[in-house]
Amino acid sequence: MKRDLHQFHGPNTQFSAITGSSSSSVSSSTPACVKDKMMMVKEEEDGGNMDDELLAVLGYKVRSSEMAEVALKLEQLETMMGNAQEDGLSHLATDTVHYNPSELYSWLDNMLSELNPPAVADPVLPSPEINTSFLTGAGDSSTVTSIGGFSASDYDLKAIPGNAMYRRSNQFAAIDSSSSSNQVGNNNNQNNKRLKSCSSPDSMVTSTSTGVIGTTVTTTTTTTTAAAESARAVILVDSQENGVRLVHALMACAEAVQSNNLTLAEALVKQIGFLAVSQSGAMRKVATYFAEALARRIYRLSPPQNQIDHSLSDTLQMHFYETCPYLKFAHFTANQAILEAFEGKKRVHVIDFSMNQGLQWPALMQALALREGGPPTFRLTGIGPPAPDNSDHLHEVGCKLAQLAEVIHVEFEYRGFVANSLADLDASMLELRPSETEAVAVNSVFELHKLLGRPGGIEKVLGVVKQIKPEIFTVVEQESNHNGPVFLDRFTESLHYYSTLFDSLEGAPSSQDKVMSEVYLGKQICNLVACEGPDRVERHETLSQWSSRFSSSGLAPAHLGSNAFKQASMLLALFNGGEGYRVEENNGCLMLGWHTRPLITTSAWKLSTAH
Amino acid sequence: MVEKSNNKRQRVERVPEFFINDHHDVLVEILRRLDGPSLCAAACVCRLWSAVARNDSIWEELCFRQMSPRPSLSLRSVVSALGGYRCLYFLCIRPVLARLPKLLWSRDQLQLSLSLYCVHYYERLYVGAWIGDAPPSSLMFLRKPVNVV
Repeated sequence: MKRDLHQFHGPNTQFSAITGSSSSSVSSSTPACVKDKMMMVKEEEDGGNMDDELLAVLGYKVRSSEMAEVALKLEQLETMMGNAQEDGLSHLATDTVHYNPSELYSWLDNMLSELNPPAVADPVLPSPEINTSFLTGAGDSSTVTSIGGFSASDYDLKAIPGNAMYRRSNQFAAIDSSSSSNQVGNNNNQNNKRLKSCSSPDSMVTSTSTGVIGTTVTTTTTTTTAAAESARAVILVDSQENGVRLVHALMACAEAVQSNNLTLAEALVKQIGFLAVSQSGAMRKVATYFAEALARRIYRLSPPQNQIDHSLSDTLQMHFYETCPYLKFAHFTANQAILEAFEGKKRVHVIDFSMNQGLQWPALMQALALREGGPPTFRLTGIGPPAPDNSDHLHEVGCKLAQLAEVIHVEFEYRGFVANSLADLDASMLELRPSETEAVAVNSVFELHKLLGRPGGIEKVLGVVKQIKPEIFTVVEQESNHNGPVFLDRFTESLHYYSTLFDSLEGAPSSQDKVMSEVYLGKQICNLVACEGPDRVERHETLSQWSSRFSSSGLAPAHLGSNAFKQASMLLALFNGGEGYRVEENNGCLMLGWHTRPLITTSAWKLSTAH
Repeated sequence: MVEKSNNKRQRVERVPEFFINDHHDVLVEILRRLDGPSLCAAACVCRLWSAVARNDSIWEELCFRQMSPRPSLSLRSVVSALGGYRCLYFLCIRPVLARLPKLLWSRDQLQLSLSLYCVHYYERLYVGAWIGDAPPSSLMFLRKPVNVV
């Protein structure tokens, strides 16, 4: 190991990294050579390699990727300093002084006063010693002067600009006791170290100084860079500021991914991981999911199941149904529209593109059972993806619905269709009966956006819908544009959207349901960010985009009535007192949002009379 | 409860004591006019009162007391099939009434409660089919959160 002495010009100039310290190259009589300091590494090409945030606050510029190496070197140095009794370097263990960078002014002042014959040798503060050779380059290391005003209580780094808050109790627990004992006059304590800033003016420092950053800072950064560091103190940086940094880091990473700068993106993703942990609540969860999705995209790992495991996703959706009102809102408003469209009809047929567990239909059947004039004959055609274990999952759902129908005395008929994609459907398969005898409604909840990945998919399905000639076509979709051509735009939009969504979940009581709901949303995030091409199914679009698409296809909007609005408002009032949730009416469509942000939209369509 | 009037005491030497417990129909009529909390308290008095209080018509009365046009008879069959008025009251109507602003208890709120009740019944058909074997409950949001420290 060897030490390098370098000219210190100030914080913004370039330094070479310490490669190590070697006891062999230093003689005991020239402690000046022995001094080590924390060198900074400045990136030549400022590609945007992120400097470590905490040290940047202190005026150092160290790349985050170098932190582990630097920390290792410092640990080695410390060990060496502690053990180097025989080399005559023992004074280092006791004599090194680390100055609080925020006290730089008073420190400089003291230095200057020492240069001039000191008028007062301060008797109140005996030790710790400083190396005056720091200033003059002289060999003696034994002259001691205390830096006025430095005591254990001055280890207050709260004054550091940039709001990096250090928890004194944790951090200095090991040091405080030793420092205070030093105040009493014990020089032999190995832990007599103080923080010192190297950002001193040029004239002051002519040689390297014992400017090793306090062990605790290193410790902390080691903590953040090393995975498990149980014995070390932890710095808690102000989490609000960290939240802003987190968002910036996420955006920067997405930008890096978009410009295919994968090394930068990789470094950023790791940083996001650490920043996310310092947050709490919704922000933490959202950041974690987005970070995971970005990591998958960077390392080109496909999501755990390419073909979504439908039984799992059904379960997750079930829990999502219970935790928050979005699905209930969707179902109840769509049902109200269908109910009104079916008024007076004796035989009704519903074609459901989003069968899942069939949770939408009990409420409709009950409403039909209790309507004026008695219930109609209710026929349901459910369309769903194939189950991975080949079980006839749609059939089971049908049986349960039939059980319910029997109990409430509604004549019920059921047919299930398994299809990989809605675009595989044909109107002829559906066994439609003449429209004089049967009124048909088509329902799609969060399914249509999955077709946008395949060229021609949505057009085919809309064609089929028109062939069916429904009384009403109810569509529920997410209200956000996650299908733009530019990755960064999609990323930004979805970050805002899912942050709002997770925020709204925070109000729900903590439970397994809530966790499952978050996993359900997390899978959407993963698909949205990490996949491309036909794999990316979560291609949400806004109401205006769907509107124009439907209109150009020959469908006209049907207004949802005030009953739907009333029911939706009442339903939301039941959730947490309805704080935060808002129902809005927009051109006959109902939007459910969290505070000011609309999140899902229910709309109803019928064939335009021009066709 | 023993009723004695001065007149009767003068006229008759021995008055047959009136125990309400001997007259179930009277008891039912009285309980039908109680409000929810009182009814629940009454159901805790003794075994007989508890059994009588389980009479679903009492709860039906409670559910629809404030509604001006009485719902049709078909409603009774539907609700009985779904689990009865007592369950409907406890699971849906009471929380809904507690949480919504004190509007007149209208058909809309009834409709909403019934829809939720129906979904609840449907979910119970799925018991045992879920991961973790915990029966789903879409009415969880209506229950007050328990502070488990």
